[in-house]
Amino acid sequence: MAHADIDDLAALVLEPGDVPADVQQHVHACPTCAQTLEALAATRRAAGADALVAPPSGLRTRVMAEALGRPAGVVADTPAAIAPDAPAGTGEPVPLAGRRRSGVPLWLASVAAVTALVAGLGFGRMSVGTPEATPVEPEPTGSVLASTALTALDSDAPRGNAEAVRHDDIVTVSVEASSLGDEQGFHEVWLINVDGKRMVALGILARGDDGTFDVPRGLIDEGYRIVDISVEPDDGDPTHSGVSLARGQLA
Amino acid sequence: MTVVRLPARPRPRYGGAVVGGTAVLEEAPEDSVEALAVRFRAGHEEALGEVYDRWSALVHTYALRALADTHDAEDVTQQVFVAAWRSRETMTPSPSTFPAWLLGIARHKIADARAARARDVRRIEAVVAATPSDEGVGAEDVMEPDRIVVRQAVDEMAEPRRTIMLLAFWQDLTHADIAASTGLPLGTVKSHLRRGLTQLHRTLEEVRHGSR
Repeated sequence: MAHADIDDLAALVLEPGDVPADVQQHVHACPTCAQTLEALAATRRAAGADALVAPPSGLRTRVMAEALGRPAGVVADTPAAIAPDAPAGTGEPVPLAGRRRSGVPLWLASVAAVTALVAGLGFGRMSVGTPEATPVEPEPTGSVLASTALTALDSDAPRGNAEAVRHDDIVTVSVEASSLGDEQGFHEVWLINVDGKRMVALGILARGDDGTFDVPRGLIDEGYRIVDISVEPDDGDPTHSGVSLARGQLA
Repeated sequence: MTVVRLPARPRPRYGGAVVGGTAVLEEAPEDSVEALAVRFRAGHEEALGEVYDRWSALVHTYALRALADTHDAEDVTQQVFVAAWRSRETMTPSPSTFPAWLLGIARHKIADARAARARDVRRIEAVVAATPSDEGVGAEDVMEPDRIVVRQAVDEMAEPRRTIMLLAFWQDLTHADIAASTGLPLGTVKSHLRRGLTQLHRTLEEVRHGSR
């Protein structure tokens, strides 16, 4: 006979008496049906778990903010929301629509160029001397493309480290910063091109001093390899504040 | 050095406009998981919220049982949904897409969290100069999620099937008792149980398939 209907097999698990004898005989003799029957029985045995535990309610906001790349404070900062309440003395708020994206400021470009010269261009793996160096979010499937120690700009004071891990066409840049100081504002991570002319914002270190950012592989290959952490005032201006706290070149 | 001005081309800002041009299946029923998967894949932001609302307890419970730490479980849950959103284009919409796919991601994140713990243990051991124990936390032995997948799938079933399944599989009532207490014909109770069991079986098959 043909294979047993899955409905009959389910019935065989639930109440064997309900199933006609010829179906039972077939299942006995047929490895395929016997296997399905065992899977259904295993499914029945998997019942009985306690009710699921929902995560705390605040997690939803954090997930949405991280996934959609919009920290809560930035979302609320529409020009309309800011303008009426702008305190005196902070200057006129600049409407977002009127703001033009400008290139890398001259001061930043020259610093980047110097960093590039000093750091050289290699792409091999560089081991980081600090014992605390661990990836923020280890990915067993990825390979480490490049890493760097982060230091202050005006001295060699250590400011943590950064690592780029490759997953096919995506590179995950993990930043584990330290000693960023307590200057007012949030910390934003940038990738500056070694040509000193271009930069992209990766995002905000919303969870303490560590963050993980996915970037297209092409960006790193194009030379966006200088990791920069700035402190940004909450002023709605999406460009670099000009205050860099840490810097290092992925190599 | 001269500073080159970047071309001021308009571009989508953080996902909002990305979804605009994508065709939406208008005919698909609102409550269909597959339709939700299609919207999720196309980058509809509210689909992320729906997917989170529907499956975060599943992922969180899995992580909680595997890691036995509320903080780590929360972390893993967040990582799973963020990773799912970022890799949404790799997902194939199907009626049981989400449990299988999300738990597959969770399995990796849990292994990562365990590996990080093992590293911490080794580091502490190195610091106190104790003999390193080889009793490391295995990254592979993440438990099978079958039981919580089944629980979640039953919780999601439409009534009266959900109640019938809970009475039969959780309270171990006989089919006749269930018919009596729900006022449904015995045949209806039995066919709900058969279909319900088959439905759970299919979901589990997909989870086993998808998370390996």
